[in-house]
Amino acid sequence: MPPRTTSPRSSIPAAPIPALGITRRDFVRSAGALGAGLVLGIQLPADRAVGQENAPASAAKAAPPRAPSAFLHIAPDDTITLVTPSVEMGQGGHTALPMILMEELGGDWKRLKVEDAPAAAVFNNPIFGVQVTAGSFSVRGWYSELRRTGAAGREMLISAAAQQWGVPASDCTAVNSIITHAPSGRTCTYGSVAAVAAALPVPAQPALKTGRFALIGTSPLRVDLADKVDGSAQYGIDVKLPGMLYGAVKTCPTLGGTLKAFDDARARQTPGFHTTVALPDGVVVVARSYWQAKKALALVTVDYDLGALAGVDSAKVSQRLYDGFNEKGTVARDDGNVDAAFANVASTGPASGAGSGFLAAAQAAGAPTLEAVYEVPFLAHACMEPMNCTVRSDEGGAEVWCGTQSPQVAQHAAATVLGLAPDKVRVNTLYLGGGFGRRGEADYVAQAAAAAKAAGKPVKLIWTREEDIQHDFYRPAAAIKFRAALDGEKTLKALECNIVTASKPTFAFPGPPFYTEGVYNLSYAIPNLRVTGVDKNIGVRFGFWRSVNESHNPFMLEGFMDEIAHQVGQDPYQFRRSMLLHPEAARLLGVLDAVAEKSGWGHPKPGHALGLAAFEAFGSYIGSVVEVSVKDKAVTLHKVVTVIDCGVAIHPDNIRAQLEGGMVYGLAAVLRGEITLDNGAVKQSNFTDYPLLTMTEMPRTESYIMPSTAPPGGIGEPGTGPIAPALANAIYAATGTRVRSLPLSKHGFTFSVARA
Amino acid sequence: MLKLTINGRTHEIDVDGDTPLLWAIRDEVGLTGTKFGCGIGACGACTVLLEGEPTRSCVLPMSAVAGRSITTIEGLSADKSHPVQKAWIAESVPQCGYCQSGMILTAAALLKRKPHPTDKDIDSAMTNLCRCGTYDRARRAIHRAAGA
Repeated sequence: MPPRTTSPRSSIPAAPIPALGITRRDFVRSAGALGAGLVLGIQLPADRAVGQENAPASAAKAAPPRAPSAFLHIAPDDTITLVTPSVEMGQGGHTALPMILMEELGGDWKRLKVEDAPAAAVFNNPIFGVQVTAGSFSVRGWYSELRRTGAAGREMLISAAAQQWGVPASDCTAVNSIITHAPSGRTCTYGSVAAVAAALPVPAQPALKTGRFALIGTSPLRVDLADKVDGSAQYGIDVKLPGMLYGAVKTCPTLGGTLKAFDDARARQTPGFHTTVALPDGVVVVARSYWQAKKALALVTVDYDLGALAGVDSAKVSQRLYDGFNEKGTVARDDGNVDAAFANVASTGPASGAGSGFLAAAQAAGAPTLEAVYEVPFLAHACMEPMNCTVRSDEGGAEVWCGTQSPQVAQHAAATVLGLAPDKVRVNTLYLGGGFGRRGEADYVAQAAAAAKAAGKPVKLIWTREEDIQHDFYRPAAAIKFRAALDGEKTLKALECNIVTASKPTFAFPGPPFYTEGVYNLSYAIPNLRVTGVDKNIGVRFGFWRSVNESHNPFMLEGFMDEIAHQVGQDPYQFRRSMLLHPEAARLLGVLDAVAEKSGWGHPKPGHALGLAAFEAFGSYIGSVVEVSVKDKAVTLHKVVTVIDCGVAIHPDNIRAQLEGGMVYGLAAVLRGEITLDNGAVKQSNFTDYPLLTMTEMPRTESYIMPSTAPPGGIGEPGTGPIAPALANAIYAATGTRVRSLPLSKHGFTFSVARA
Repeated sequence: MLKLTINGRTHEIDVDGDTPLLWAIRDEVGLTGTKFGCGIGACGACTVLLEGEPTRSCVLPMSAVAGRSITTIEGLSADKSHPVQKAWIAESVPQCGYCQSGMILTAAALLKRKPHPTDKDIDSAMTNLCRCGTYDRARRAIHRAAGA
């Protein structure tokens, strides 16, 4: 069993973070909405956004915008409120961010209150530049700033108390919201001096903790957790407003299709019917109850213009990906001289010292190269809470209630539909019943706004599961053609990766093609490496799906690395290790060694086989080893061992939860996950044909966190990627069958887990 | 008007007989702990206890439950004190939390029927879907509650 108990004292020393030269004018102070007491927020100078060193290449290259802040409020009654820029979708942001703040503030954890931030640029993520809870950026983005905010608050509160007592501030200490002047034995609470503190100057360079953390590195009960065991946690779908009506929506089954006409004559005769609303791509029926709206909607006949994707099926998508291999593409990375290396191995003929397998065949052919094509399908997010949104609108403005990862995107979507200025739309964020990237989009917000506008009353719009599966923003279908040149020393001389994607984001990221992430930035030292990307965007809406590019590119890359290792007769662990000996790969090497050790690599039980994958993702380093046994095509999964180096581990238990959860999200996709198209329409419709993982299929897991004082890396997403390559590589080790496309069910594999 | 008892209180609900119990509980009675997930009885987010038995309320018409007795997550305990709820907190099971009402009610019913369930018992009873992957912790919580 993995170590689950966390010692009450943190074992993490507080590593210094660079001083950022905050000036007084960089602090924002406003006592507006939060009432009396001390209100603090910090703005960083525009050119010094923190955490950049830890951002992915695509983000780091973007000019960081002015990066303002989280807000702390200490009330006279000692309540400490953090208006958190990170929404809570189960990833633990509502706990991790306050922990960072409270560590420096010295506040009483029991008096903490967490509020979701409204839509406002002031809450833009310092790394990401936008107000979005995504990309595993919450802790990475806010770590330094929250520490400084907490430290500044602490200094001001101590100064206030010292001033009142007429003693030097340096003689005072603060723990658990209580300030103590030891020489006199006087004490007071934060709340009692909050108002005085508010009038003091904000320290430009608050002193951060040195020595050991007290809170960071421990695992307090998650702030949102208790309300999730008695039904009291409020999600978007739970909102109820006076006079509210309900909306049911149906859009064109063919993706990208648009509404031509509809006939709602029959629907109008049904009880509770209120109005039918035309959307650009479908209709909403608004009624007194949701069930009435849903029944009435089924009676509306709709005529669509099917649009550009009519006639597209999955075979065509696949063909298009393969066609992409014949195109030149955009070079994402080009190290050494790949063409010369391939020419060289070809001209020097058979490699020497090679064992059986590929190289023997290659020797016979006189060309020690290896080539393979990998492919993955479109995938849907399938959040447990179907998309929904409630909108109330009048001439003066509007209010939106929903679970959203992007409050400002939701705000703009509603404002556009309602013809209002964005600042006239207030967004109320509730708990998200799953996000995984899906709730960064605001299509459902725009629909709800249209419905509320047409109905002239508040409307709660709720999607069916079918609508959710069939009108998602999908993880792209993609393929990679790999080519490797090998030499007689059992090393990889050259690697060529041609990545083709069937969809991509609507906005451009700076740097190499977005969809080559996870390959172009691989950690292995390969002397000649070329990564190219070919954009074969077919027009299916692109989705940021948990782990994004690292949800599938590692399956393909780490699968091919495994192929190379086996073909040159090297142990897959040692083969990877030999390419990770350079200083930049030190942390990944540490993870690789740890996961090999924890999993008993090299010593599988009789009849069992192990598969490995390791890579960098979201500023963290992760590796998994999967243990299987396979009889015919029946795969038994015995254990998944995962190690992560995510820098400073804020809340270890939550990190383990995210590793488990991320793996489950990935495993469902590996086993059976597939969105296929027929006439441009998604064939899957519910959990019957887009099945999630079940309790019965939950493998035994062990998760380990590397001790580290490095700045925090992401934890919400890295856990999703390793299971696909590690499992496929384990199946190869067990059977000699190489799986180069997903899901496994397509290859006739069945699946079960072994319980200890 | 359809009459039924929810968490010990009798309600008279004015909905069409084909309205699923789920929507009556959520929108008419106002108890929102019971969740809508799939609408076809596949995921279990809408699980309630019907005369003590875990039942998927999204496919159960009101006409079929009139006069009967329902327990929702809000009725399991007044103060999160049911052994399953306590175990759920102790094992930090929920992530997004959306499926957890159904999970907890299903687990509570399992433990009532089988105070010391095996892993196999848990596998066959706990057919609720969780997208966050809280299965391992849910299993541990059930064992913990069984030991309590």
